[in-house]
Amino acid sequence: MDAEAQDRFREFVENRSSALLRTAVLLSGGDRHAAEDLLQNALVKAADRWHRIDEPEAYVRQILYRQQISRWRLKWRRRELTVAEPPETGASPDAAPDAELRLLMRGALARLTARQRMVLVLRYFEDLPEADVARVLGCSVGTVRSTTHRSLARLRALAPELAALGPAEIESQPSRDFSPVEVRP
Amino acid sequence: MNVDELVRDSLRELADEQTSAGPGFADRVLVVRRRRRTRRIASVAAATAAVVAIGVAVPLLDSGKEDVRPADVVQKSKDVAHPDQSPPRDLISAGNTVLAAYYVPRTVKHSANRAERVRDYWLLDQKTEKYVKTTKWSYVAVAPGMKTAAVLERNLPASRIGMLDLATGKVARWIEVDHDVAGLSFSRDGLKLVATTYGGNPDQLVKTEGSDFWDQQQPSTRTGFYVLDTVSGQGSWSEVKLTSDPNDPMGDSFINARQDFALSPDGRHVWAGNPMGDIGKQFYDLSGAEVEVPANQKHLEWYVDAWQSPSGRLVAGGFAGKKWKTSSWVVDARTGRQTEVHGQQLLAWVDDSSLIAWDIAPNGKNEFHQRLVKVTIGSDKTVPLSGFRKGNDGDAGRWEPVFAER
Repeated sequence: MDAEAQDRFREFVENRSSALLRTAVLLSGGDRHAAEDLLQNALVKAADRWHRIDEPEAYVRQILYRQQISRWRLKWRRRELTVAEPPETGASPDAAPDAELRLLMRGALARLTARQRMVLVLRYFEDLPEADVARVLGCSVGTVRSTTHRSLARLRALAPELAALGPAEIESQPSRDFSPVEVRP
Repeated sequence: MNVDELVRDSLRELADEQTSAGPGFADRVLVVRRRRRTRRIASVAAATAAVVAIGVAVPLLDSGKEDVRPADVVQKSKDVAHPDQSPPRDLISAGNTVLAAYYVPRTVKHSANRAERVRDYWLLDQKTEKYVKTTKWSYVAVAPGMKTAAVLERNLPASRIGMLDLATGKVARWIEVDHDVAGLSFSRDGLKLVATTYGGNPDQLVKTEGSDFWDQQQPSTRTGFYVLDTVSGQGSWSEVKLTSDPNDPMGDSFINARQDFALSPDGRHVWAGNPMGDIGKQFYDLSGAEVEVPANQKHLEWYVDAWQSPSGRLVAGGFAGKKWKTSSWVVDARTGRQTEVHGQQLLAWVDDSSLIAWDIAPNGKNEFHQRLVKVTIGSDKTVPLSGFRKGNDGDAGRWEPVFAER
């Protein structure tokens, strides 16, 4: 990487790292430290291929998602299975104000599997169409839909207060594909 | 409110709470990148790097006796520099720290997706004070005193270790091993040799589909280490297993394909880097049982070749870049207090206040256009010792130094 390329890289990181870090934090379930590691690794990879990347942000995002898939596949699976019990709560479902609901939701999102969380981040934070989410995850649109279904169901199981909420748009549609998410290596 | 609206709001709220990664984030990324890229080859240098000690006991292979030379009777030498030579042709040294050899790695392609990184060595002929090429060895570690080098033949991992007499250029003794070896490192007193064992060639390279680059083969095939007595050739092997999934690129058991063991600077433990682990290194007793990192060695960084100063008071640290464009930290081993010193990468201690380092020219813009320099703690002066290396990190033809104490 020559001096000019380094300057362009620095400029890119300065301008876009805040946005990228936000996504990384969400993918990491709110763990800022893990998010910085995730983003740092993605940026190192981007720097390695800097002169051949046309759209750095798209490339870094893709790496973020891929890394998170790898982490899920290779390391986090066991850990996530051990925290599967829903939390004990005694609050009345319909008494919780919005702010409290958002906090409950945040806690529940952190307890999803990385795969479930990623689907929700891509759909509801990045606002990607289902077809694009499928491309990112390397699976079918049907799998994206079924994973979204199951992720929302899991959130309700983790935080029963959410039961008072209306169903998501996607939940009113039948899910036809219940195959597990296929991931490209 | 629908559940998906709440998901959306919660995610946005969490995202909006995040402060930026800070102004130095890009530089941090570039430093990490440089370290990772150099680790692949630097691990070789780390295992053979600076051997600087106050009292060195150097085994004489032909007699089997020891030549013990306390530091106070060893004549301290003047610096010998050749700033016009890269790679060097004539002896380079600073104090008693000598460029005992250097190697130039090259990639030998075996098929479209399989290759090997091999090293060609240039060893110092101590009579003529010139560096002489040899293609016989795949790995060379020079013992303090520069009378002996431990060598491995081509085709790693090897089933025997040669003890090369540097005066005659002949192998004085072969040490046969049951577990194949691919890495060697002497203790600072020269009395012990740590040999890292591997199930396969750690310098093998693979090209994954769609990639233009050769990459190290994962997972690492490292199996353990021998601690050998350099006089008798006797020793024992310890198995070191990885504690978690070695395939996980983010897991704390992920190590480089070549991740060699070495004696700790005080000779009491064997240690190796652990790039993804919480503290970046692991220590073992000489029988292979993992132990806690000794308090006075907690600042050691395995990818910083210089390690600990001769007295053990200071530890060479990583890239700093605060006071000067290229500089490194020197860390007080006891207190952790950091001092900035010139030099991009600290390679070997000359004495307790000066080191040999790679550095770029004062106004240089290319981070890979480096030369050997002598730097001194508390001084703005750097003394060029070699010419500048050409090419970028990992390019063919770039030479890598092997230092030893004379």
